[in-house]
Amino acid sequence: MTRSPRPGLAVAVAVAGAVALATARGDPTSSFGGGGLVPSVLEAAAGVCLLAVGLTALGRDRERSIGALLVAAAAAWFLIDFNNPGAGAAVFTLGLVLATAAPAVVAHVVLSDPDGGLRSWPARAAVGLGYFLTLGVLGVASAVVFEPRAEECLQCPRNLLLVAGDRQLHGDLSHVGVDGTLVWSLLVLVLLSTRFVRSSPARRRARGPLLAAGGLYIALVAVDLMHSAQRGYLSNDSVDQQLWTGQAIALLLLAGGVAAAWWRARRRRFQIARLVVELGATPPPDGLRDALAALLDDPTLELSYPLADGRVVDGHGRSARVQGQTTALVRGEETVALLSHRPGLFADGAIAAEVAGAARLALENERLQAEARARLEDLRAARARVVAAGDAARRQLERDLHDGAQPRLVALLLATALHRSRHGTRTDHRIDELQAELELALEELRQIAQGAFPALLGAEGLAVALQELSEEPSSPLELSAVTAERFESRLETTAYFVVAEAIRLAAPGRVAVRAERHNSRLVIELQTDNTPSGTIDLEDRVGAVDGTLSILRRDDGRTTLQAELPCGS
Amino acid sequence: MRVVIADDELLLREGLRRLLAESGFDVVGTVGTPGELKRKVALTRPDVAIVDIRMPPTYTDEGIAVAEEIRETHPAVAVLVLSNHLASHYAMRLIEQHTAGTGYLLKGRISHIAVLNDALQRLADGECVIDPTIVARLLTRARSTSHLDALSPREREVLSLVAEGRSNKGICDQLFLSPKTVEAHVKQILIKLDIDASPDDHRRVLAVLSYLRT
Repeated sequence: MTRSPRPGLAVAVAVAGAVALATARGDPTSSFGGGGLVPSVLEAAAGVCLLAVGLTALGRDRERSIGALLVAAAAAWFLIDFNNPGAGAAVFTLGLVLATAAPAVVAHVVLSDPDGGLRSWPARAAVGLGYFLTLGVLGVASAVVFEPRAEECLQCPRNLLLVAGDRQLHGDLSHVGVDGTLVWSLLVLVLLSTRFVRSSPARRRARGPLLAAGGLYIALVAVDLMHSAQRGYLSNDSVDQQLWTGQAIALLLLAGGVAAAWWRARRRRFQIARLVVELGATPPPDGLRDALAALLDDPTLELSYPLADGRVVDGHGRSARVQGQTTALVRGEETVALLSHRPGLFADGAIAAEVAGAARLALENERLQAEARARLEDLRAARARVVAAGDAARRQLERDLHDGAQPRLVALLLATALHRSRHGTRTDHRIDELQAELELALEELRQIAQGAFPALLGAEGLAVALQELSEEPSSPLELSAVTAERFESRLETTAYFVVAEAIRLAAPGRVAVRAERHNSRLVIELQTDNTPSGTIDLEDRVGAVDGTLSILRRDDGRTTLQAELPCGS
Repeated sequence: MRVVIADDELLLREGLRRLLAESGFDVVGTVGTPGELKRKVALTRPDVAIVDIRMPPTYTDEGIAVAEEIRETHPAVAVLVLSNHLASHYAMRLIEQHTAGTGYLLKGRISHIAVLNDALQRLADGECVIDPTIVARLLTRARSTSHLDALSPREREVLSLVAEGRSNKGICDQLFLSPKTVEAHVKQILIKLDIDASPDDHRRVLAVLSYLRT
């Protein structure tokens, strides 16, 4: 993320600083700092600090533009002393043009968004006007008509930009420039204040120091311009010098503000990193959410993950609804996670980037887990649908037999009985045979209906249905403890068919059954004499209700099947 | 004997009515719902009400509930529940409340007019009737450990008749044994199965059925 600082640039600005300082020392009376030790040190410190944060920002992807502006501000700050009469002609001329640029560049810095862009038109207008007044009116335009010697600066070097000296015009330009820049600086102050008042608390926290220091600097510039407006040109009397020292301090604070924002970000990243470590390799679902909510001080924070198929799921893999203000945590082109949060939390986009960066591994991890859980849930739902469809068909078959064929057969039986009672002993034996066949058919039908779906299960519950199963002729079922509690229908059905299927799969041989509730699980335990073969259907059934099936086979062939079915509280 | 029939299936209701009428019973009413049955019973005071277990509205165990209600409000009216369920659950539930004068017969059984006749007669006499098939199923269950193995074939016969709700006298008639012999058998069975001896026929049925069900 951090690029190597640009040594050339650093050297260039440092040289500018050294030249400025040397020039100031060379002719203290013409310097803004007055050449004293403290002002000189402050001038140097302000420039160097701006340069340092500027270069650092240049090395950071998202802050390159701001970094360039800060370096420019440092340069402009040093150039203020270049138009010292004690300098050489080139330096002097450069100073004439650029000496007043510093306020415009600093205003550009503080009016910019964190990424260096100027998004609002007032900010763009203010910055443009600033450059026009300082570089244009007070800089180039004034320089073109400024003949130092004609204006009683006898020791001044040659003005290389001079086209035609015009004292009157130079004075007017100076007047207009100073007044205009004064008005401009007041405008910038108004802009900064409204921006500060309007911004969200989070943003205020993040950008406050920068705006305050910048505002202080512009305010001091404004005061100096007010002071200069009375005489009509910029100069360096004792008031100017004091204000100028103040400006140096304000710029130091500005550099500090930038550094402080970094320090806060670094600390937050460190906190997130530590928290990620604390969460461990496999944080519980929602663990990351809770941690981020605590860290960012937003209890309403929700973390969700967009899947490839367009769904959005939470840490448990359940489909989540994203509502309220949402910030995407992006890595490369891919959205890793969505954060729903209170309005304004991420007004400073850098925080979102930091969270995405620092918690990347944990986010990736939880996202993968959420995705896996969602897939599992899909699978379970599909299983559940298949099983439910099968059960519905079984139930329907049982009802159809009960309501249709059975009563019909019973009615036929009654008819034969009626026939026999009417004709007494004269009935032939074929009626007896018919009756016996009808009874057999009725019993077979009953068994089919019973096998399809036990009517008692729905009406009376698991315990009664299992009791019925154990009363079937040659049933191998032995019930030891079966809870009489009623459960959700699909749970009872699952439990019943686990037992019924296990009997079939382990036949012949006894099957001992316990079915008891342990906290929020219905536990079905079957001890079979033989090992049941092909338990995939059982696994499907159990899996469909989100339960687990374990099969423990002992050396003697006896096997323990245990199905644990979650049954709520 | 005066009989009321309750069954939501018109076909069965009418078939049964004609069969019973043919066999000399006085069918004083046929109805299709529990509510109609209660009104008809209150109105006609029959000796026995024959009730289908499956009736509206839920078609599960309405017959059991209305049977209990009738035994409660009209102790003189016996109730015979007809059912498709071979499981002992509903039979047990039925006779738990009112053992005397309640009966549970499988639907397939009603074409045997002799069986029906016998059951209705016994109910009118205040006995309890449990379908022999249900008892046989309980008796023939394969159990890993059971005291039933200790019973002699004759004792098993007696036991199943006890479980069907027959009195000692009824058992005498069925097996052509003397009252003393039957009494001795019953006593022996109850000891072997570790069931508390009770002189009361009804409590005896409950105890034996409970034993067989476990």
